[in-house]
Amino acid sequence: MTAHAANRRMRFVLAAAVALLVALTSATWIAATRRAARQTEAMLDYAMLDLDATINGAIDTMLMHAGDSIVGELGHPSALPTTQVCTIAMQRDLDEVNVVSRDGSILSSSVSRLVGQSMTDTPKSSEFMVLTNGIRHALAHKFRRGAHNPEVRRKYVGVAFPEGDGFVQIGVDETRVTRMFPSIMGFIFDGWLLGEKGFFLCADMGDGHLISNPARHRDEARFLSETGYDPSDPDVVEDGRTTFRQRLFGEICDCRAIVFCGHRVVAALPPSEYYGVRSLFTLVMAFVLAAVLSLFVALLWRIDSDSARIRAFYAAEAAKQTAEFELGRTIQRAALPVDFPSDKFFRIAASMEAAREVGGDFYDFFPIGEKHRAFLVADVSGKGISGALYMMNAKTLVKDALLSEPSHDPAAALVRVNNELCCNNPAEMFVTAWVGVLDLETGVVAFANAGHNPPLRLRAGAAPEWIRERSGCPLGCFSGVKYVRRELTLGSGDALLLYTDGVTEAMDKSGALFGDARLVDTLVAADTCEPRAIDIAVRVAVSSFADGAPRADDITILALQYLPSRARQVKTFPCDESALGASASFLEETLDSGECPVGAKTRLMVALDEVVSNVVRCSGATEVSVEVGFFDEPRGVSVSVSDDGKPFDPLHVPPPDVSLPPEQRKIGGLGLLLVRRTMDDVSYSRADGRNVLTFRKNFA
Amino acid sequence: MTIETKREGGCLSIALEGRLDTTTSPELEESLSNSLDGVTDLVFDFSKLDYLSSAGLRVLLSAQKRMNSQGTMKLLHVNDVVKDVFEITGFADFLTIEP
Repeated sequence: MTAHAANRRMRFVLAAAVALLVALTSATWIAATRRAARQTEAMLDYAMLDLDATINGAIDTMLMHAGDSIVGELGHPSALPTTQVCTIAMQRDLDEVNVVSRDGSILSSSVSRLVGQSMTDTPKSSEFMVLTNGIRHALAHKFRRGAHNPEVRRKYVGVAFPEGDGFVQIGVDETRVTRMFPSIMGFIFDGWLLGEKGFFLCADMGDGHLISNPARHRDEARFLSETGYDPSDPDVVEDGRTTFRQRLFGEICDCRAIVFCGHRVVAALPPSEYYGVRSLFTLVMAFVLAAVLSLFVALLWRIDSDSARIRAFYAAEAAKQTAEFELGRTIQRAALPVDFPSDKFFRIAASMEAAREVGGDFYDFFPIGEKHRAFLVADVSGKGISGALYMMNAKTLVKDALLSEPSHDPAAALVRVNNELCCNNPAEMFVTAWVGVLDLETGVVAFANAGHNPPLRLRAGAAPEWIRERSGCPLGCFSGVKYVRRELTLGSGDALLLYTDGVTEAMDKSGALFGDARLVDTLVAADTCEPRAIDIAVRVAVSSFADGAPRADDITILALQYLPSRARQVKTFPCDESALGASASFLEETLDSGECPVGAKTRLMVALDEVVSNVVRCSGATEVSVEVGFFDEPRGVSVSVSDDGKPFDPLHVPPPDVSLPPEQRKIGGLGLLLVRRTMDDVSYSRADGRNVLTFRKNFA
Repeated sequence: MTIETKREGGCLSIALEGRLDTTTSPELEESLSNSLDGVTDLVFDFSKLDYLSSAGLRVLLSAQKRMNSQGTMKLLHVNDVVKDVFEITGFADFLTIEP
């Protein structure tokens, strides 16, 4: 991941955090606004109820006092002259007084026509009959329009005589109460607060004169208009239930208004009462949110940069490891021989398919003198560069030991290699190896095993045979360990298959192992002793078994087939012009005596002419030997030309361009081209100071 | 190897018998260098030639180069082994081979 991408991601997180902050702050603001509005409404509801109760209560109390004084004056219900009742009413500033007996009939009244009527005549008046039950003392009705004079709104209050012995009913007109209103209510409003900052305004409906003034604004206004209240404003609804806004004393207030007894009462609540908290609340909330979010962002930033560093660290480590593995592989591959010399005595094929990680397999084969060929397969426990270097070391030691061992005894060689490897092995690595030395003349393979998988001997028409001799311990484990030299014999055409555990321990996707049985089945099905065919058959079987499952270990295969000659003829010539004709005659005679088909013979003759003429012309050799051998499987002839001249591998010379016109043609290289094209197999080796070029022609 | 040459005016016929290899090709080279003057048609009869190697190719190449400037050159009765060699080395592309 790049730093650029990290920056982009962090910018996104930051933007998201800011957006979240704005959204949450807005939501808080809206919630606080709603809460303030609800609280304002609740406070005004309460104020209106309280106002109604207070005003009505005050009026009722005043009237009940008047009723009580009348009851006290009369003592009991009695019939009085109307004039006397009118006097009583006037004294108390009342509009109507009726004295009613226990049975509800009006004994006396300030309204003469009412005398003799019954309170039970109308449902409304009959409500007052409750006062005759000896328990209820007083009853007040609200102002309502009179039955006889609808212009007038009148209020009735009844006060019982002791023990329910009738009652006095008094009535007052609203206009009369209006007159009395300032004296009744003024002092109440003055000290009456609404919440902490709210207040009441009470003004005469007629002249707008304020009868009350909130303590906070006592001297600022004498008339309602001076407070800023405007009854003509379309927002204003004076029903006591609708909240509206008015600018009062320079401040917008939530208001409700109602009319009582010719007076307009306004309850006003400045927004600072509840809305003031809203700003503070939102501010605190925003601050807390900002703190939490910035903490969160900082944490995320830290995690992001940390994880980027960790990822980068691991990526670098992985790259380093891959590079090391690659280098190890390169060393490993470079150490393996890739030219498979096809000797007249044997054919060999080998391959190594590297696994991605674990690995360190190698194989080797080389001549030991004229008569012996060494071959081996090994598996190093280490991997990477250290494993590859260990493998190089082991490979060199084995070769040195085999070449310098007087009898070419593989067991003695392994003892020496093991001691060398044990000397300096800080990484505790070890190698398993199976080393064989083939005697070309007898087909006897002397071998020693250091903890390696058992090889298989293959013979045409017979089942594959395990060579399961007791094995020594792997090389590099314990110094001084002995290895046992054993022998097996390869008959004509027999093959030996060596491999590493990458073959038998190859896994399919379910984790099942390829195993020994499948290896045998594969060889039986392949039914061949030809090394290249064996190599291919095993590799194909393992690969189709694995079916794409990753390779866990290197897969190394080496197959060798022993091909003893039926008849061998060798002749050595001094290395000069005479060798050309003499060697040609020798080959011709040998081929004729061996009943070589004429097509193969002429091509062999051409090849010999090319090879020997090269030796005579270029090698500086003193002598040249020609060796001719016949083979049965498949039928054919192998010719080896060896010389003691300077080292020269003609197979590494690039072939000439055969598409040029004659004018641009150079003579040179054409001879070897002919050899390589007309022969079935050509190989070069350098052994014991001699160049050996072997070519083979199969009878068609 | 035996070399049989027959000259008729500008036409030179050469019949080869045996092997044209490293040992014998100098003979042919020698023979050609003395007899190609004034030749416009060079004909090789390979009916009795067993085989030839790259040394023989070298001689044929120089003959072909020379005849390209003074006339024509063709090979008659070439056997399969020799034809094989011409094919492999690309000589079949510029030699005139007649059955």
